[in-house]
Amino acid sequence: MDILGTLIHGLNLAAIYGLMAIGISILWSSIGMINMAHGATFAVSGYAAWLASSAMKPVIAAAFGKTLMAKFAMAGVTVGAGVTAGAMFGAIIYLLAFLPIHDKPNYPVRSLIVTLAINLATVQLLLWYFGPRSRGLPKLFGFGKFEVLGIPIRYDQAGAIISTAVILGLVLLWLKVSRKGLEIRAMMQNPEGAVLSGISVRWTALPVTMLTGALAGLAAILLSQTIFVSPTSGALPLIKGLTIALLGGLGSVPGAVAGAVIIGFLEATVGALPFLGQRYVLFAQFLFIITVLIIRPRGLGGLLDETRE
Amino acid sequence: MTRAFTPPISKSPRMPDVLAISGLTAGYGPLRVLHEIDFRVAEGERVGLVGLNGHGKTTLFRAVAHMTGWQSGSIKLNDTEIGGTRSTGPGRRTSAIVRKGMAMTPQGDAIFPGLTVRQHLDCGAYSKLAWRERRQRRDMVMDIFPPLRSLQDALVGKLSGGERRMVSVGRALMVDASLYLIDEPSLGLAPKISASVIEALFSLPTDGRAMVIAEQNVALLSGRVDRMIGMHAGRIRGDVGHVGLE
Repeated sequence: MDILGTLIHGLNLAAIYGLMAIGISILWSSIGMINMAHGATFAVSGYAAWLASSAMKPVIAAAFGKTLMAKFAMAGVTVGAGVTAGAMFGAIIYLLAFLPIHDKPNYPVRSLIVTLAINLATVQLLLWYFGPRSRGLPKLFGFGKFEVLGIPIRYDQAGAIISTAVILGLVLLWLKVSRKGLEIRAMMQNPEGAVLSGISVRWTALPVTMLTGALAGLAAILLSQTIFVSPTSGALPLIKGLTIALLGGLGSVPGAVAGAVIIGFLEATVGALPFLGQRYVLFAQFLFIITVLIIRPRGLGGLLDETRE
Repeated sequence: MTRAFTPPISKSPRMPDVLAISGLTAGYGPLRVLHEIDFRVAEGERVGLVGLNGHGKTTLFRAVAHMTGWQSGSIKLNDTEIGGTRSTGPGRRTSAIVRKGMAMTPQGDAIFPGLTVRQHLDCGAYSKLAWRERRQRRDMVMDIFPPLRSLQDALVGKLSGGERRMVSVGRALMVDASLYLIDEPSLGLAPKISASVIEALFSLPTDGRAMVIAEQNVALLSGRVDRMIGMHAGRIRGDVGHVGLE
């Protein structure tokens, strides 16, 4: 078993699951929605990136030929289309599953059902329109590998890990310093106090859904460097994102990051162990999450919090 | 049932009403907490709202902010109607009402534990003007509550109960509201600390604004508010002018 390679693989998975889990966690704590349509956002972003990249391929080839610029342009188009589509789909979820029902009784359950319906409908729509065939996205980071301290790292792994770290860092920084970010954090911590501070839930929820949608879009692009885009490709990331968000203690961003790292490494390790292998990955993950939640029903989040409630 | 209720003669000539409530009924689900309340607060007044636990003081405040389960009746804030009948959606209209000039400090520590004192105070500066002037306004709050000055970068969740209450009240002071609703500023605090919080509240100028303080500890308010109003079982049961308790 290749320990160092497993480490890198685990970090790669952690990056992608982390993007999903943080989105789910932020959505739950700020607007009280468990977004079952996060998987649909994932799939839609993948298809949008595929459509945009195949439409722009001849244009880019004509403009830049086979230069390095062409690669950058292709990467820009793919990522831009995926992230934009994710944000747009987030806005659709806001319009369908938040705006009409957010002040009705039992909103968490209602929104769970509505977003689940959006998820199922979107997957069927994608199946009907694009067919079940999977599509490959252009390789953003190229083929090949390099070595750091004797560890072989594939370009797409390094790209996924680094771009996730950068994007997440930027998002968390934005949440910390900007005024909108302050409002979102206030809403995450105490919705009642937030409205008393003149923060409108309706107008703050829109950037939240768009931001989390964009994160799911980025996750879709990054995961599609390893697997293909298909209508159901969002299902597994959704399940893993949800369980990681639960493991981290729904609503805790540091908890979600820690959960993603643990689950990513667990998946990589179980998959690499000769007597277990890939088919035991989900089994081991759920066993682990259930064990943690039995011992600590609030998840990991409380351990990382600096303050008392 | 409507109760004949005459407002007492406190200050004359009577200033315009900041808050005028009539026929307010409110509750949560099947529970009816307030029964046909009529209540007025004039500009420049400090009103004490006293009564036992569970008799509707907090619900009255929450009804003004549209945070009850359901409510009906007229509420006028500076002659603008903000009341009306509502059966669902607590909190939906609250931010709009806050922007019309109502500042409320909720009961207990309804605060943002993960923000620093500075960020927490900034949250209160929601208007464009207040956001631009937030530095001066923070300074003003810290003049009122000097202990906060050295704690600006501390997380609110790590502060003591008294300091948290100061932050919670200070947040409401970050904008120029016309009506301040302060719910139980002394709740759960040591007598010395609660006295200093109340002291700070009374040091605020009252020109152009009005303040209603809900309190169980009548002695803390005695002799210092313009009127004292008693609540019992969801109705207003007494309205007296200047009271001194010794």
